[in-house]
Amino acid sequence: MSLLEDEVEREADMDMTPMIDCVFLLMIFFVLVIDLSQKDLEDLILPMAKYATPDDSPPEVRPILNITQDGRMVYRKNVRYDPIQHGDDMSTVGELLIEWKNTVVQDMDEETIGGKLVTVVNDPILIRADKWTEWHWVGKFMTGCSQPEAAFWKIELAMSEEDKEVRLYSK
Amino acid sequence: MAKKKKKSHLKDVQEDAAMDMTPMIDVVFLLIIFFLCIDFKTLEAKLPAYLPKDRGSQSNPEEPVEQLSIKIVNSEWGREIVRKPEHRGSPLNKEGRKRAYKLEGHLCHWEVGPKRYDDMEKLKAALEKIATDPSQRVPDKDNPGQTKVMSVVIEPAVGATYGDVASLVDVVTVSGFSEINFGGGLGKRKQ
Repeated sequence: MSLLEDEVEREADMDMTPMIDCVFLLMIFFVLVIDLSQKDLEDLILPMAKYATPDDSPPEVRPILNITQDGRMVYRKNVRYDPIQHGDDMSTVGELLIEWKNTVVQDMDEETIGGKLVTVVNDPILIRADKWTEWHWVGKFMTGCSQPEAAFWKIELAMSEEDKEVRLYSK
Repeated sequence: MAKKKKKSHLKDVQEDAAMDMTPMIDVVFLLIIFFLCIDFKTLEAKLPAYLPKDRGSQSNPEEPVEQLSIKIVNSEWGREIVRKPEHRGSPLNKEGRKRAYKLEGHLCHWEVGPKRYDDMEKLKAALEKIATDPSQRVPDKDNPGQTKVMSVVIEPAVGATYGDVASLVDVVTVSGFSEINFGGGLGKRKQ
């Protein structure tokens, strides 16, 4: 009789192992998928770098602009310039740069350039564009950066350490 | 009765000896999820470059300085192929926009002054030669009396892509140039 009781008790004990396993599994899944640092990055295929330095210690302050193949300029998942919608009117890009100047960047200097006092931004902007994006769109954005009201002059071009296009779409 | 009890005890021992596969399956799932998710984080690299500070100000641009100009000339745009094989039958998406494509046969060459380069390695060798040549150094405006490696201005022509420019910046940087600017006329390729 006592042996039977023992058996029943043993079976009644709840085994916590699978539950803990599941919790760990979910934790790892969400940590990897909902990585906040990735929210600025669009799913683009960047050109492969042969010699560029890895971007493993990015500066604390650095706005990231994504430029798609069709020329859309995306900041934090919001399209700020769309060639179909805005055409030659780049005012939204200018507004975005002034927004960064007022709220995002920190390192600024007053400099006299071309006889005018200009507030120059020393924090860099990271430009991420698809490897087949026409340079025309990147150049347009850079022109906006060079305007005295924006005056961003440090640019970083994002590249990839591997050619994802070859790996994913080689066929 | 006693016989029966003995049998059930033996069954218990047998049950304990059976291998429990649950932890192994858990670990396998964990590894699958880990390797699936790690793909989201692409390792990226960066190339620093600078924009002219005087552009856009209408009067008195900064003093002209000696720069090495490299033009990127697009010789062949190439054939556009929709990137995802499953979408190759429909080049436009639901919004009527072109789907992301890859270019096959996209070609460009580089011009350093009057000299044309079709091979990136040859261009790299030429740039390294210029960067290490003492006669090609220019006065350093920030440190009077000293010289520095001249700055490079990259001029992408119509039809150059971000990939063409970034690859060139990559080579220019490794060749020993640290000041890289962008110039060139803006213009969209006619489709």
